Amino acid sequence: MEAIASITPEIIETTPAAPPVAPKLISGSEALMMALVAEGVDTIFGYPGGAIMPVYDALYDFQDRLNHILVRHEQGAAHAAEGYARVTGRAGVCLVTSGPGATNLVTGIADALIDSTPMVCIVGQVAKKLLGTDAFQEADVMGVTMPITKWNYQITDADEVPDVISKAFYIAQSGRPGPVLIDITKSAQLELMTKPFAYERCQSIISYRPRLVPKLEQVEAAARLINSAKRPYVLVGHGVQIAKAEAELLTFVEKTGIPVATTLLGQSTISTAHPLYVGWLGMHGNYGANVMTDQADVVIAIGMRFDDRVTGDASKFIKQAKVVHIEIDPSEIDKIIRADAPVVGDAKEALNALLSLVNPNDHTVWRNEFRKYDVVEHETITQPVLNTAEGKIRMGEVVNMLSEKTNGESILVTDVGQHQMMASRYYQFRRPNSLVTSGGMGTMGFALPAAFGAQVGAPDRQVVAIIGDGCFQMTLQELGTIVQNKQPVKAIILNNNFLGMVRQWQQLFHQRRYSFVELQNPDFITIAKGFGMDGMTCDQRENLSDALDTMLNHDGPFLLEVIVEKEENVFPMVPAGTSVSQIRLK
Amino acid sequence: MTTYTICIFTENTIGLLNRITIIFTRRRINIESLTVSETERKGVSRFTIVIKHESREEVEKLVRQIRKIVEVMAVFGYLNDEIVYNEIALFKVSTPLGSKPLDVETINKKYKAWVVYWGLDYVVIEKTGNDTEIFDFFAYIKQYDILEFVRSGRVAVGKTEKGLVEYLPEMEWAYYL
Ligand SMILES: Cc1ncc(C[n+]2csc(CCOP(=O)(O)OP(=O)(O)O)c2C)c(N)n1
Repeated sequence: MEAIASITPEIIETTPAAPPVAPKLISGSEALMMALVAEGVDTIFGYPGGAIMPVYDALYDFQDRLNHILVRHEQGAAHAAEGYARVTGRAGVCLVTSGPGATNLVTGIADALIDSTPMVCIVGQVAKKLLGTDAFQEADVMGVTMPITKWNYQITDADEVPDVISKAFYIAQSGRPGPVLIDITKSAQLELMTKPFAYERCQSIISYRPRLVPKLEQVEAAARLINSAKRPYVLVGHGVQIAKAEAELLTFVEKTGIPVATTLLGQSTISTAHPLYVGWLGMHGNYGANVMTDQADVVIAIGMRFDDRVTGDASKFIKQAKVVHIEIDPSEIDKIIRADAPVVGDAKEALNALLSLVNPNDHTVWRNEFRKYDVVEHETITQPVLNTAEGKIRMGEVVNMLSEKTNGESILVTDVGQHQMMASRYYQFRRPNSLVTSGGMGTMGFALPAAFGAQVGAPDRQVVAIIGDGCFQMTLQELGTIVQNKQPVKAIILNNNFLGMVRQWQQLFHQRRYSFVELQNPDFITIAKGFGMDGMTCDQRENLSDALDTMLNHDGPFLLEVIVEKEENVFPMVPAGTSVSQIRLK
Repeated sequence: MTTYTICIFTENTIGLLNRITIIFTRRRINIESLTVSETERKGVSRFTIVIKHESREEVEKLVRQIRKIVEVMAVFGYLNDEIVYNEIALFKVSTPLGSKPLDVETINKKYKAWVVYWGLDYVVIEKTGNDTEIFDFFAYIKQYDILEFVRSGRVAVGKTEKGLVEYLPEMEWAYYL
């Protein structure tokens, strides 16, 4: 149990020897600032406007304690908060105005929900007496965000502020993390609280009790299955990194000798160089990692939800296997794949509990079966990409070279499309918590603001964003935020002049009918320079290494545009709706 | 199609009905009836929602999704034989001068329905029971001129010995927790 923090408003401290009878009462806006400070918030991504102005006025006096970052578009605030949250494990905070300010957050909130990212969005609302009157900039943000938040709440009374904010952070960050939205009326921001401000961090909610420590009988049943397995296979999702259970996972698989694959968001949980790592799952994941799901007799899924990009046709996925499903969210159990041994709990707690119950093993023969697929994948896909001498630069080459130059130690932030898949395929992650990507929602425009947020959250790490030319144009105004805040984000545009991923589908499944996927692009470097950011273009293979060095050695943010092959496809590919065994190599 | 009665116990907060119905809407499950009231515990509301579904598995998933809502304390999905349940219906029946008189004895004795209001040229009859009983009575009374007919949603209590107090605040969650 953490100590109860009761914070006295600064105002009281500075009031000289006021008679102790009536403590000075503070406004809802000041209470909000005090609550954020008490919660340990250091960064806010925001954008002001009419219905949130009292809060911005209070913020003026809190600039020394709360680092407010002015973005260029509220969607940028949401993705930056997500990037921040993904690398710190703490809720990213957004502060925006009512109506359009709030609705501009919606894409980021939906993205955070599906990728289990903790976020607290504080949005202004019209005064209480105007609610429901179609007042200026009034939108039913509660209604709009209800299906895409873990929790939302409308504050109409200044007295509610401390309790609601503490609840908001508790809900966002505990259990399966997610976005929370607090709609606060302008009247609640302005009016005085009727009682002295006191803040107590929320520790529990009667109706919401995420189970962290799994039931012993569930762990025992899981251990029995694992110990009986001949061909066990561990599938690691994002949940392991959320639970900060990377070390526990390693101990567990090293003791049991079980091969490990990850989901897209699970990447970097385990070093790609680890002998037990066999690749990642999914539509464009690794060949062996995907097809070997058909061979396992026991699948141990940890902190993952069997997304359809992983399972392909779920009715044909791991049908032969017994399934151990370790998951903090009970509603994920049996949702897509039936679990023979469900373990509800936090991945760290569950792995710790399992560890003493599983037998040491060494599944060398079984593990080696993955290798023959690796050889095929290497020869038919990886080799040709990395060793082309002619033609345009390939996306994989760029990522591979970046991976080498950064020793696989950067935080890689990707946007959505072919470049995202190529980044995942060719970056050799060496450190945990190093991939920030929009998985469940596949939100174009995610990378630039998310990379900014990640850099703010992890100032000591190198952050590199890999962005498509289409995606870049969805949130490029955040170059301004990066420059104004002097964050040394490195951004690489892999420019193929196409909405490449859609073009690939049109080529493969729509008889090359390229319907509205070709872009007339601006001069990206001139744009960057216009924002005050350095950059350069590279379109020759022999210059690529120097260009990457220039970018990485540059002091401050840098935009590198690489002109790549226009009609390259990402393989392997499990076509949507087919089974993973129908994976295509070309 | 099987009828399921979903009983949801929640904190009494604004907007919760919306949050709950969104879960049904997203899965395209039609709500047959819905009743909300406060329970014997102050601040705890009880939603009784009746649905029809062919797959028990889908209903179980639905129940777990509802349980995920922060303000929801407990959810139970019942089959008809696991609950005691009732509905109430009101029939406004025309009784103009000179028309065939109502057979009050049959209405009372056979159908266990009661005239609860006498108007000048109509009466209001109240009938409680399950949906079959209510429709049986409907079939009988429709020989008279029915001016209005209204039926409430289902109210239900589980047949298990346990009461809500035993579930709350401990909230023994019957599924995976
Ligand atoms: C907001 C949004 N709109 C549309 C899509 C559909 N979509 C997925 S990938 C893609 C193409 C992305 O193009 P680009 O950024 O150039 O990347 P590339 O695939 O060429 O690497 C599109 C349009 C999406 N994921 N998100």
